[in-house]
Amino acid sequence: MTQVMKGVRVLEVAQFTYVPAAGAILADWGADVIKIEHPVRGDTQRGFLNMGGVTLDPLRHTLFEHPNRGKRSVGIDLSTPEGQEVLYELAKTADVFLTNYLPQVRQKNRFDVEHIRAVNPDIIYARGSALGDKGPERLVGGFDGTCFWSRSGVAYAMTPEALPGPLMQGIPAFGDSIGGMFIAGGISGALLHRERTGEATEVDVSLLSAAWWASGALISQVMETGIQTRNPMPTSGGSLRNPFMGNFRTSDGGTINLCMVSPTGLIRDTFEHVGAPEAADDPRFKDVLSLIENAGAASDILVKAFAQKPFAYWRAHLKTMKGQWAPVQSFSDLLTDEQALANDMIIEVEGADGSGKPLRLVRGPVQFDGKPLETTRAPQASEHTETVLMEMGIEWDKIEQWKASGAIA
Amino acid sequence: MKPGTKLKSAACDTEVMVIRCGDGAIECGGAAMGEAKPEAVGTPSADFAAGTLMGKRYVDAAGTFELLCVKPGKGSLSVDGVALQVKDAKPLPASD
Repeated sequence: MTQVMKGVRVLEVAQFTYVPAAGAILADWGADVIKIEHPVRGDTQRGFLNMGGVTLDPLRHTLFEHPNRGKRSVGIDLSTPEGQEVLYELAKTADVFLTNYLPQVRQKNRFDVEHIRAVNPDIIYARGSALGDKGPERLVGGFDGTCFWSRSGVAYAMTPEALPGPLMQGIPAFGDSIGGMFIAGGISGALLHRERTGEATEVDVSLLSAAWWASGALISQVMETGIQTRNPMPTSGGSLRNPFMGNFRTSDGGTINLCMVSPTGLIRDTFEHVGAPEAADDPRFKDVLSLIENAGAASDILVKAFAQKPFAYWRAHLKTMKGQWAPVQSFSDLLTDEQALANDMIIEVEGADGSGKPLRLVRGPVQFDGKPLETTRAPQASEHTETVLMEMGIEWDKIEQWKASGAIA
Repeated sequence: MKPGTKLKSAACDTEVMVIRCGDGAIECGGAAMGEAKPEAVGTPSADFAAGTLMGKRYVDAAGTFELLCVKPGKGSLSVDGVALQVKDAKPLPASD
C-alpha cells in the first residue's frame, strides 16, 4: 500500500464524525493519527449506539469505526493544566493539529491556535466547524443534519414541493463523511505548501461550506437566474424533452435510471435493449430532434417496456447498452455489485470483541497506485496513552504523576 | 512489580502492561503471570476463561491494580484469585 502521509503526525482533538473522519482519511493514507479522548467518557460518539432504530454493539461499533479506524487513542483531561501540558508535549511532535471543539472551549482549555503555535510554530492548525470560523455564529456548534442538510438549502432542493415537509438526511454522517474528506484534502494542500515554503497555515472547513460546494452548481444557477428548482415527484417516465432521461419502474417495483443527456447514436441501441426494436425504425424517433419533439410517445414506449420485466433482469441485461443508465440500488444491492466490489471499496479490520469475525468498513474515495487499503480497527478509549507517552521518552514517574492527578488515563 | 512491566500469561496468549499495582499476585487463566513466557503454556481454569480483549484496561474494585491488555487470549485476569473487571469508557448518552 502506498502511504502518501507516512511520517506525518496528526494530533486530533475532536469528537463525533465530521472532523474525526478527516483524521481517518489521513490515517488511511499512512499518517500517525493520535486521537485525544476524555479519560473517563471518551469520544461522545462511543455512546451513540442507536441509529435508525438499530442498536449497535459497543465492541463492533460501526459508527465509531468508520471515522476512527487506524488511529491511536490517548486519554487526556484537557480541562486540567497538567492535561494541557501533556497535549503540548504531543503537539511539539505533530505536523497537524485537527479539532472541532468550539472557539470558546479552545480558549478555555488553552488549545486554540495561539496556544498550540506557542509550542510548535510550524504546526498546521485545522478547524472543522459547523458554520465557519467567521461571522456572528462562529461560536455555535452543529451537526451535518443541521448545517450540511437543513440550513444549507440541500433538504429543500432535494424535496419535491408536493411532499408535506422536507426529507431528512437519511444517511447517518452523510455530510460529515463528505466534509471530513474535504478537510483531509485541505490539510494535504497545507502540508504541500509548508513543504515548499516553510509556511504553516490555518485550515478551515465548515459543514455549511461543504454543502455550499456540493450544491455549487445549483446555487450558482440560482444566483444567475433567480429560479429555485427542486426535485420532482417520483414518476415512471422520461423527462419532458428527453425521453432517455428519467426513472422507469420495473415489473416488480424496482427502478432503472436512464441518463442519456446526449442521445446521438444511442436511439436504436436503447430501443433494442428495452425490447422495443420496432421503435428504432419509427420515423418519430429517427434522430435526436425528432425524439425530443416526440418525447412523450417515446417515454410511453419505454415505460411499457420496463414494466414487462423485473429489476434483476434489467440490472443484468442492460450491461451491454451503450447509453448511460443505472439500476437504482439499495446498499444491500451495492454489496453484491461486482463492479463496486472490484475497486476494493470494502476493508476488513479485526473486531474489538475478539471474536475473530472481521468488521467490514468502507475505504475513503481515493486510492493510490491501485492498492487496496490495509488498516487497523479504531482504538479503545485511551488504549495507547502509556505507549504513546513512553514512545516520546516520557519517564514512567511522570506518567504516574499525571495519572494520579487525573490528567491522563 | 514495576509499572510499565509487561507480563505474559502461563495459560494462554494474553499479555498485559502493568499500569498500576499494589501487593498481590497477578494471574491470568488462574495461573500467575510472569515476565517470561513459560515453555509449556497450560490452559485457563474454568473460572478464569472469559478471555481478554486487546486494548482493554482491567482493574480491581479498589483501583489498586490496572492492567492494559496488549495481546488478547482465552484466559481472564485476576489478582489473588479475585477477577478483575473491564474499565470501560463511560460515554455520554447519544442517539438519533
